[in-house]
Formats: sequence, structure tokens, C-alpha cells
Amino acid sequence: MKVLIVEDEKTLAYEMEDFLKKAFYICDLAHTIKDGLEKMEINSYDFILLDLGLPDGDGLSLLPKAKKYNPDAAYIILTARGNLEDRIAGLDLGADDYLPKPFSLLELQSRMQAIARRKFNVKEELLPLGDFNVDLQKRLILFKENQIELSRKEFDLLSYLFLHNNRVLTRMQLSEHIWGTFADDDYDSNYIDAHIKNIRKKLNAWAPTDFLETVRGVGYRIKK
Amino acid sequence: MKLSSKLILFITSSKLAVVLLFVISLPFLVDSIVSEYTNYSLRRQQAKVINIIHKNGIDHYLQGDDSYGSYTMLKEEYIALEPAAAKSLIDTIKTAQRVVERDTLNYRILMHTFNFGSKNYLLEIGKTTASINQYNKPLQRIALYVLMGLIALTLLFDLIFTRALIRPLGKIIKSKLINRKFPFKDYSPPVPTSTQDFKYLDESLIQLMDQINEAFEKEREFTANASHELMTPISILQNKMENLLGDEQLPENVVLRIVEMMKTLSRLKKISNSLLLISRIENQQFVKSAHVKPSKIIHEVMEEISHRLSEKELEMDIRLKEDRLLKDVNQDLLFQLFYNLINNAIKYNVNQGSILITDEFPEGKNYVITIQDTGIGIAEEDLDFIFDRFRKANLTENVGYGLGLSIVKSITLYHGIEIRVKSKVNEGTTFSLIFPAL
Repeated sequence: MKVLIVEDEKTLAYEMEDFLKKAFYICDLAHTIKDGLEKMEINSYDFILLDLGLPDGDGLSLLPKAKKYNPDAAYIILTARGNLEDRIAGLDLGADDYLPKPFSLLELQSRMQAIARRKFNVKEELLPLGDFNVDLQKRLILFKENQIELSRKEFDLLSYLFLHNNRVLTRMQLSEHIWGTFADDDYDSNYIDAHIKNIRKKLNAWAPTDFLETVRGVGYRIKK
Repeated sequence: MKLSSKLILFITSSKLAVVLLFVISLPFLVDSIVSEYTNYSLRRQQAKVINIIHKNGIDHYLQGDDSYGSYTMLKEEYIALEPAAAKSLIDTIKTAQRVVERDTLNYRILMHTFNFGSKNYLLEIGKTTASINQYNKPLQRIALYVLMGLIALTLLFDLIFTRALIRPLGKIIKSKLINRKFPFKDYSPPVPTSTQDFKYLDESLIQLMDQINEAFEKEREFTANASHELMTPISILQNKMENLLGDEQLPENVVLRIVEMMKTLSRLKKISNSLLLISRIENQQFVKSAHVKPSKIIHEVMEEISHRLSEKELEMDIRLKEDRLLKDVNQDLLFQLFYNLINNAIKYNVNQGSILITDEFPEGKNYVITIQDTGIGIAEEDLDFIFDRFRKANLTENVGYGLGLSIVKSITLYHGIEIRVKSKVNEGTTFSLIFPAL
């Protein structure tokens, strides 16, 4: 998948690029509207990550033009202007999602995956996870033919860890993913532990869950 | 007491005092004036008599007798002329008693010796003191009536004048001070007055409010800009740390340190987000057009937060009997409002405590929702400051009210909701939200 990052804050753009490259995306960078439009004209992208506060204008004004060049691309707006009007305007202009700064790169990737499944009809087969199989689209976890009942939050947790497999996720990152801005570290981290305990219990009834590791003092990781 | 009443009161009492003083001293004044006049008229009569004697001789009076005496019909005045000892020289006016026709009366008497034809004579002219003082009482009475009338008249003028004079002050108070809500956005024109002091007062107030507004505006702007500007560096740091954590080769102690850093960054993020939210509320960037029932909002909050109840085994009791539709509100903000209050009720509660949410709509009063907990409570001396930004209560080391209640305050202000708090340490805290009348 090809991604264009339109972000004037260079350091931030490089970090995003660094992260997405590791997740096997191919990235281009643009730091101005002009620069962004030039790149869109030449290349076709699957994802365009658009910052709104650009030095030569408002990123929102770039959207309609960009859609002409790349009608099939998915647009995600990234902005520190977290007000609702911007959000609505962005979505009205055909953006697919909206992430207020500061956002987590893990969250960005998870949103991109969700858009890919929805928009590009990426048919993911059943993905193996230890002795289990995960169907992200249908939000199922299966052992052979058996469907294992997980609550909505439990599945969210597991799929988030699964999406970022081999990477340790802190309790805070996990609770932010589940509760968004309402995450309260002191409280919800314990709750994450309780969730993981439940997930393990439910899965262990069918097969071992060695893939779901606890990293002491940090959080959890799914090893593949 | 109002200034005009004070002025009128002072003017009235001072006038009354002066009049009273005058009326009390009137007898003495009249006495002295009358005695002066009596002396003067006695002297004139003396001059007249001496004049006649010089003209017509002493026998004009004596008619061959040794002495002469005469008095008026009612013995109010008398005149006596008699020979006096050769050596005596008298010239005086005094009050003394005389017996006239078996009546003893008080007289004001002029005694004067003079020489005529080498003989010494004593002339006495007397006036009864009663006749002298007969005008005293009526004079006093008339003076009193006239003065009272004058007082009433001048008071009326004073009243009209002071009222007219002070009217601009009332206008200034009404237009600039009473019912003015901060921030002073509504323009209040200067009050027309020709009194320099009022002009100065009015202008000063306008200036002061402009200054307050300006300072407030600057603070809002700063908060908005600062929190907005912070977002980019926070984003960079967060993403850098996330990328660092993704490195599988990192030794464990470094990972732990990065996690600690991320926790700190998360705090910074929360502070910035809260400040940004407060400044957005203060800048009125939220539309108030939703009609929503509190039960719905509280239900949404509980969905988000109920898992935290189990940790302390808290009991949650929601009893909304009235459940009035709240009109023209911003649902997101009200969610945040209830979220923060309920979250605090959980956060500062004790194990196996309880939270009670009730509402009431008393006759003739406004709709009230109350959130009551059995938590650690807030000390009396801290109660006044719980809504202040960055104020921490010295409860325990890590317990501070942070910005949660500042956000609550901003949201209530923005919606015209009155918030009251009652608390007792170790017993619990009760927040009451009094909604404006529909």
C-alpha cells in the first residue's frame, strides 16, 4: 500500500514514515499543499494522511482537488485543531477518518487497517494466532470450527495486540485504544489486566495461549 | 442606605437642629432685643421730659407740689418726679418692684437725677416687665410656624434637586454594575451627566471593564494558543517513543524507562487537552442546540465508566424521577460534565462505598440533579478552590483535583447551570447541578 504523508512538521512526518515503513507501507512525504498536490498528480496513493495546518494554506481546501487526482484513495485528517466543526467539515469533504493530534501511531495503523478492510475490500483470510484463527472482518476468534465468545472490548484488545504483533503494547496504549480520551491510566490499566485474564481464561479452555505474553512492568505482546 | 436618602436625612436633620436651636434661643433673643428697645424708649422719654422741663420749667409737672407721679390706666407705665438729695447722682436703668395703688408690680425703671434751678431732682420712668414680654410667646409661635413652613418648602426643593443630581449615579450603578455578567460583552454607553465626578466614575468603570475584558481575552487566547502549540511537540515525542518501543532489541531497563516517559507524556497530553477544551468552551466554540434527557447522558457515561465501579466494589444508584428534557445544550459537553463528576465520585470514593444520583423539580424552583458519594470528602478550607485550575488539595500525595473540575465549571458557566458543592471529610461529597428555568 502506498501512503502520502502531508505534514509540515518534518520530525513528525519522519516518525510516521518510520513507523509505517516497518508495517510495510510505502511512504512519500510532502510538507506543503503545493508539494502534496504535485505528488498526487504524479502518483496514485492508497492512503493520504493530511495535516490541516499547512504553511501555504488550510489542508481542508486541498481535499476536493486531491480527490480529483486520487479519487480512490482513503483520506485521514490529522490535526491539532480538535474542534468538531473541522471534523465535520473534513468528513463532509470526503475524508474517511479523522485523528486529533497527538495521536498514537498504533491507532493510526489500526484505523488504516479498518479503512482498508472496509474501503478496499481487502479480503483477509482467517489469520492464524497460535492454534486459533482470527477473522478481523467478522470480529471472530475460532478454534477449528468453534467460535469463542469474547466481549466487544475483549475482542478489541486482542485484535489490537494481534495487529501490532511482536510489539509490546503498554497498558496505557491499550486503554487509550479502548476508552480513547477518557482513559485514566491509574484505573484502566488494572482493568486491562482483568480483560487479558478473561481472554486467557476463555481461550485456554480450548488451547494454550503462549502467544499472549505479559511483559513485566510494561504491558502485553502477541508473539507470532 | 442610598446616597440620596442619606443626603436628605442629613439636610433635614441639620435644618431641624438649626430651627430648634433658634426657637429655643428665641426668648433670650427677644428678651435682649426688647430690653434694648425698652432702654432706648425709656431714654427717649427721659429726653422728652427733660426737654419739656427745660422749655416750660419744672412746674409744668410739679404744679406747685413737691413731687409728681402719673401712670397709665393699667399701670403699665408710670412716671415720677421728686426732689433728690443734693449729693446724689443717679443715672441707671434697672428692674425693680414698685407699689402702685396697692399693687406690687415688676417694672423696668429708668432713674435719672438732674439739676434744675439749683435743685436736684430724681426722675423715674417705669414700664411693667409684663407689658415688655407680652409679645414673646406669640413671636416664638409664629417664628416656629414660619420656619417649619420654610423647612418643608426647602426640603421639597432639596429633595427634587438631590434626586436630579444623583440620578446619573443610579444609572451608572444600574447599567455598569448590577446584572452585568462577566465577560462584559454587551456595550454599555456612557451615562449622560454634567457632574464631573460621575463622568469620571462612569468612564473609569468602562475603562476598568475594558481592561478586565482585555486581560481575560488575552488569557483565553494564550490558553488556546499554548495548548494548541503544545500538541505538535507532544505528537512528535509520543510517536518517537512508540517507534522506540517497537525496537525488539531494546534492553528491558530502557523499555521500562520509555514506558515511564510515556506516562509522563500522557499527563502532559491530558493537561493540554483539558486546557484546550476549557478555552474552546470559553471561546464558545460549542453549539448549544441539542435537547436531551439527563438519564440518557448518564447512561452513556456509565457505559464508558462502569467498569471502574467493580474495582472498589462501589454501589451505583441512579434514581431520576423527573428526568426533564434539557433544552438547547451541547450534548458532548454535558457528557463531559457528568463524566467528570461521576468519575470523581468513583475516584475519591472508599472501598464498598456508594454513589447516588437523584433529581428533583420542586414547585416554583429550578430542576436539580444531585450526585452524592460516600468518599473521602473535601476539607472545608479547600471547598472554595476546587474549581480553580491547577489547585491541589493536600489530601494525599497524588490526589489533586487537576483540571477535571475546572472543565466542569466552564461547562456549567457556558450552560448557565449553577453548581453547588457540600462536603464533609471522610463522609462524602455532594454536587448539585441547578439547571436554568426553561
